[in-house]
Amino acid sequence: MGAYRKPIQIVILLGVLLIGGYAIGKTLFADEAGPLRPGDEPPPFTLLDLAGNARALSDYEGKALVITFWGTFCPPCVKEMPEFQKQYERWQGEDLEILAINLSESDLPVRNFVQQHGLEFPILRDVKRKVEREYGLKVYPTTFFVGKDGKIKEIAEVPMTDKQIEERIERIL
Amino acid sequence: MFQNTKCECGHQNHVGTVLCESCGKPLMQETLVTDEPLEMRYDGVARRSQKANPNLIDRIWNFFSSVKIAVYLIVITFVGASLGTIYPQESTFISGDFSTYYEDNYGTPGKIYQALGLSHTYESWWFITLLVMIGTSLVICSLDRVLPLYRALKKQQIRKHLSFIKRQRVAYEAVVDQPGAFVDRLAEQLKRKRYRVHKDKDGLALLAEKNRFSRWGPYINHIGLIVFLLAVLARGVPAWHMDSYITAPHGEAVPIPDTNYYLKNEQFTVDYYADDELPEALKGTMRAKKYETQAVLYACTASCDDPAAEPELTELKRHDILVNHPLEYEGMSIYQFDFDDTPKLKAVRPVLVDKQTGERYGPFELSMTEPETSYALGPYTLELRQQFMEFAIGDDGNPTTLSREPNAPAFFFLLKGPGLDEAGETYLYFPREVDKLRFSQDRINGDIADRFEIIVGTMENVELTEPTSFLNVRVDKAMPYVWVGAGISMLGLVLGFYWQHRRVWLRFDADRLSLGAHTNKNWYGMRGDVASAMQHAGITVEPKSLDNGGKNL
Repeated sequence: MGAYRKPIQIVILLGVLLIGGYAIGKTLFADEAGPLRPGDEPPPFTLLDLAGNARALSDYEGKALVITFWGTFCPPCVKEMPEFQKQYERWQGEDLEILAINLSESDLPVRNFVQQHGLEFPILRDVKRKVEREYGLKVYPTTFFVGKDGKIKEIAEVPMTDKQIEERIERIL
Repeated sequence: MFQNTKCECGHQNHVGTVLCESCGKPLMQETLVTDEPLEMRYDGVARRSQKANPNLIDRIWNFFSSVKIAVYLIVITFVGASLGTIYPQESTFISGDFSTYYEDNYGTPGKIYQALGLSHTYESWWFITLLVMIGTSLVICSLDRVLPLYRALKKQQIRKHLSFIKRQRVAYEAVVDQPGAFVDRLAEQLKRKRYRVHKDKDGLALLAEKNRFSRWGPYINHIGLIVFLLAVLARGVPAWHMDSYITAPHGEAVPIPDTNYYLKNEQFTVDYYADDELPEALKGTMRAKKYETQAVLYACTASCDDPAAEPELTELKRHDILVNHPLEYEGMSIYQFDFDDTPKLKAVRPVLVDKQTGERYGPFELSMTEPETSYALGPYTLELRQQFMEFAIGDDGNPTTLSREPNAPAFFFLLKGPGLDEAGETYLYFPREVDKLRFSQDRINGDIADRFEIIVGTMENVELTEPTSFLNVRVDKAMPYVWVGAGISMLGLVLGFYWQHRRVWLRFDADRLSLGAHTNKNWYGMRGDVASAMQHAGITVEPKSLDNGGKNL
C-alpha cells in the first residue's frame, strides 16, 4: 500500500485540479450567459436577402461589419435607414459591409420601404424572430459594429445620426 | 527531530501513531502520564499522510486531510450560501436586464449586493471554489483515515497490552479460578450475542467483535457526497443542463433553442372553475382549473438552418402537457409555463361588393401575416400595395405601423376593373370594424367608398388566432447522479447510525482477569452486553460498575 501512496496522491490532486479547475474556470469565463458585450463574437446566422439569396455571417469574414436590426414599425429605425444608405455610398470600395436585418415583418412593407428609400445594402429577413432572439435584442434599433477580427467592437442601442454612424465605422475600419 | 516509533512489542508503527498498531500500548508521551481512558479514535492509528519530512505535495495533502480545515470550509460555505438568500438570485428570473433591478427594488443595499456579485452567489468563482475544496477535503480526509483504519481492523492482535485493556472506558478486573474454562464460557455467551470471537493459542486471551461494517458508514456517506458534488458540478457542462423558454403559437412547429428539436402546439386549452365549484369569496373570479397543451415533439432531420427551405421534421412524441405532467423525451422535460389567449386576427375572407348593382365578388382569403399581392375577383383585380399591422398616422402625416402584431391591420389596395380608372383606384381596407370606424375608412377612401366596398359579412369569415402556449424546456442530466449520490449517502448514514461497532478484549495474567470493551456509541448497550455475558459465564457484575470514566455518551 505504502508504495502507491505518492502516485495516488498525485492522481487525486491532478483530478481535483482538472475537475475543480474546469468548474471554477467556467464561472470566471462565463461568456454564454448574459447579453452580448463588446469583445464577443456575433452569433452566426444564415438569412435570405430580398432577392432570395442566402447570406451567412461567415460570408463576411475579414470584413468590418455593421449589423443593424430595424423594422418599419420603429420610427427611429425608419429615420436611421437612409443614414446607413449614405454611409454605404461613402465607404464603397472599403472592406465594410452593412447588413440590415429586418425584424420579422411581412414581405410587402419591407419591399415597399426599401424601394421607397432606395436602399442598396443587403436587407436580410429574419424569420420568427430567431436571430433577433439570439442577439438578445432589447430595444430597436440596435446596431452591432463588428471589427475585421470578427469581434464586436461596439453596440449602439440608440438611434444614431449620420455623423455618429460614421465615427463608429471609422473605429472598426 | 528523530522520533522512535517502535513499540516495546517489537512492532514498527507509523509516525503519528497513538496506540501501537499491534498490541495497543499507548505511545504518546501525554497518554503515558495519566490513567484516563484512552482516545480510541481510528483505533489510535496514524493518519495515512502523516510523515516526518513533508514536501509540497504532502503539505497540500495534509491541509485537505485536516478535519478542522474541513469544518472551517463547511462553515464558510454555509455563511456564503446564506448570503445568496438575502435577495432573489439572477438565475431565478427568466430573462431580462439585471443592471438596475437590484438598485430599483432594494435601493443602496441592493446595489452593493449586486456589486459584490452576491446576485449570482451560487455561480460565483468563490462559491464553486469552496465546493471544490470541500470535495477535495472529503476525498482526502476519508482516504487518509479509512485505509489505516481498515488495515488496523483487518489484522487485530488478540492479546492486547495490559494498559490498553485497563484503560478502556468499559473495564473490569478480577481474580478468577480456572481461567481457561471461564474464557470458553464467556466466548459462548458472546457468540450468542452475535459477536465474532477469536481466542489466542493458549485460550487465555480473547477478542470478540460485532458490527464492524458500521465503521464504514461515514466513508460510504462521503462517497455519496462526492458523487453528489460531482453531479452538481457536472451541471455546468453545457449539454447536461438546459433551462429555456419557448413561445409556441398554435399550429406552428417552433425550434427549441440549442437542440434539433421542434415543438408544435396543436391546441392549447384553459378550463376555468364554474361558479358553483368555487367558495363564496371566489365566485365570479376566473380561477383556472386546467391548462393543457396538446404538443407534438419533432426532430429536425434536414435543412434545419437553411433559410430558403422549410425544415424537414420527424415526429418523435405526442403528449398532452399539463401542469406537473411535462412532455418527457430522452432526459428533456417540457413544462407548461404560461399562455396568451388574447384573440388576434389571423385571416379574413371578405368579398368585394359593387354598391350600385349589389353584385358580390369573392370571397378571397386575406392573411394578416402573409397576404397575396394580387387577387382576381371576377372582372376586378385587387393589388395589394401596402400593409400595416397596427395602423396609425405618423408624425409626418403619413400612415405607419406601430408594431408587427396584427392589432389594427390595414391593407392598401389598388382596385382595377370595369368602370374604374385605367391606372386603378386606391382603397384602404380595415378588416376590423372598430378600426374602420376609428380611422374613418370611408372618408379616407373618398368617392370610391360610394361605389365599392370590401366587407367580411359574418364572423364565419373571420379566422382568429388560437391561444399561444409558453413552455419551459428543461434538461438536467445530472439529476440521476444527484439521486444516486444522495442514496449512497443515506445508506452510509443508516449504517453508521443504527449499528455500533462493539469489541471486547480479555486477557489473563495467571489467574488475574483483565477485560476491556469499546464501542463507538451507545455505551449503555456495550456495558449491558458485557455484564450479561459475564453473568451467564458466572460473574455477576452491575453494568454501571463497568464504567471506567471518560466521556459518557
